[in-house]
Amino acid sequence: MALGDLTAPTLPRVNGSTARLVPILTTIIAVILAILPLRIPGYAALTPALALMAVYHWTIYRPDLLPAFALFAIGIGEDLLAGSLVGIGPLTLLVTRAVVLHSRRHFVGRPFPFVWAGFTLVAGGTLLGLWALHCLLEFSLINPRNTVFRMVLTIAVFPAASFLLGSAQRALIDGPRRSR
Amino acid sequence: MIRLSPQLRAGIQRSTLPVLILLSGAIVLIGKTDQTMFDSLRTGLSDAAAPVLDVVARPLGAAQAALDRARGLVGIYEENRRLTQDNERLLQWQQVALKLTTENRQLQGLLKAVPDRAVSYVTARVIANSGGAYVRTVMINAGTDGGLARGQATITGDGLVGRLTEVGSRAARVLLITDLNSRIPVRIEGSHTSAVLAGDNSERPRLLYVAAAEGVKIGDRVVTSGEGGVFPPDLPVGVVSAVGGSGPRVEPYVELSQLGYVLVVDYGLSGALPQPIAPMARPGKRGKVASNEEPPAAPRGTR
Repeated sequence: MALGDLTAPTLPRVNGSTARLVPILTTIIAVILAILPLRIPGYAALTPALALMAVYHWTIYRPDLLPAFALFAIGIGEDLLAGSLVGIGPLTLLVTRAVVLHSRRHFVGRPFPFVWAGFTLVAGGTLLGLWALHCLLEFSLINPRNTVFRMVLTIAVFPAASFLLGSAQRALIDGPRRSR
Repeated sequence: MIRLSPQLRAGIQRSTLPVLILLSGAIVLIGKTDQTMFDSLRTGLSDAAAPVLDVVARPLGAAQAALDRARGLVGIYEENRRLTQDNERLLQWQQVALKLTTENRQLQGLLKAVPDRAVSYVTARVIANSGGAYVRTVMINAGTDGGLARGQATITGDGLVGRLTEVGSRAARVLLITDLNSRIPVRIEGSHTSAVLAGDNSERPRLLYVAAAEGVKIGDRVVTSGEGGVFPPDLPVGVVSAVGGSGPRVEPYVELSQLGYVLVVDYGLSGALPQPIAPMARPGKRGKVASNEEPPAAPRGTR
């Protein structure tokens, strides 16, 4: 992968300071939602990777407003709050950004099924990679059952998350700019 | 502000992402070799985020309570019948327990046995879980301000939940007994066979190093053994739910994915664990919510 692929493309400038913060704020909200104690049996282990959805969405549509530094900070915060190994969070989010930036042109302006299929590949690959990394770090073969269920749940929830993020984008980022 | 040439600026922009990815990888490796490295950062952020999480989790808890109530209304007749039967059975057990308590007290008097230490409890609400497939922890909304300290046992009325691994001033993290890193000395009740309860991130932790494996049967009660001095003995943990194959497994008494409130128990034993963070004991503030010498609730026999 050429390094040139990993820079955010030049997109129309957004002037409102609140609007500029929308991608970062929604990603932070996704992180907090994922650690809320929902009392559903077995849910904690299968929580959909919500932050991954936000990163995927914003890297396709507004990569300039969710820079790598922000992802790094959010990932570290996520690890500290969730009690997981520090560094795993930023690694996951940043690798997702790199992969999506590299293949961004295939998704922009395409109908939703394309975007969803892309997410299936990206989320599947990321969660599988995460499982392999944990196996390596723990020196043991962790049962992949939870990972597979989590993958399915993550892919299934994506349309809803994509709708919400898309609505926020149209209302707060794209809309005001067009009317100006 | 320093002015950068456009080439240099473009170079920095291009390399930011790869550099941050490498940095994250390096942090993972550093954190893996020294697990306590980020502890103070963790407790700091948890303390700061605790009020926010607490506020966000509250309506969620209320909604769940309403849902539970609605569900309860549907089965109210059946529930009432079951409770009446339970009550009759438990009244008989109460007689037995009273008789045994008196007898026990007399025998302890005869033997001049040293009484158990006084125990104090702090009740705390679960405000966050770990949200992922690789760690089993929950965050609670109490910390050193409430007298909590690292290593203390966390229970509910049903049995053992885990132990405190990080304690900040307003929030603490509980390592559940199902976590990959949890190892708890236990004993099979009745046969007095000792073993180690080892979490593997599944719902049912394994029993390792069982002294007499052939003596372990499905349905046997598992309690803490108190060996190692971290946990007090005889806290109910669960029942043996599988034997053979990959070794015996234990079904915990506590429904760990549905924790609402937990009790943190101070038996005065937490000194057995090393304290990487500055010691935080404040005896004057102990037992904020409840403090007595009775066990919190009669543990259930089977589920």
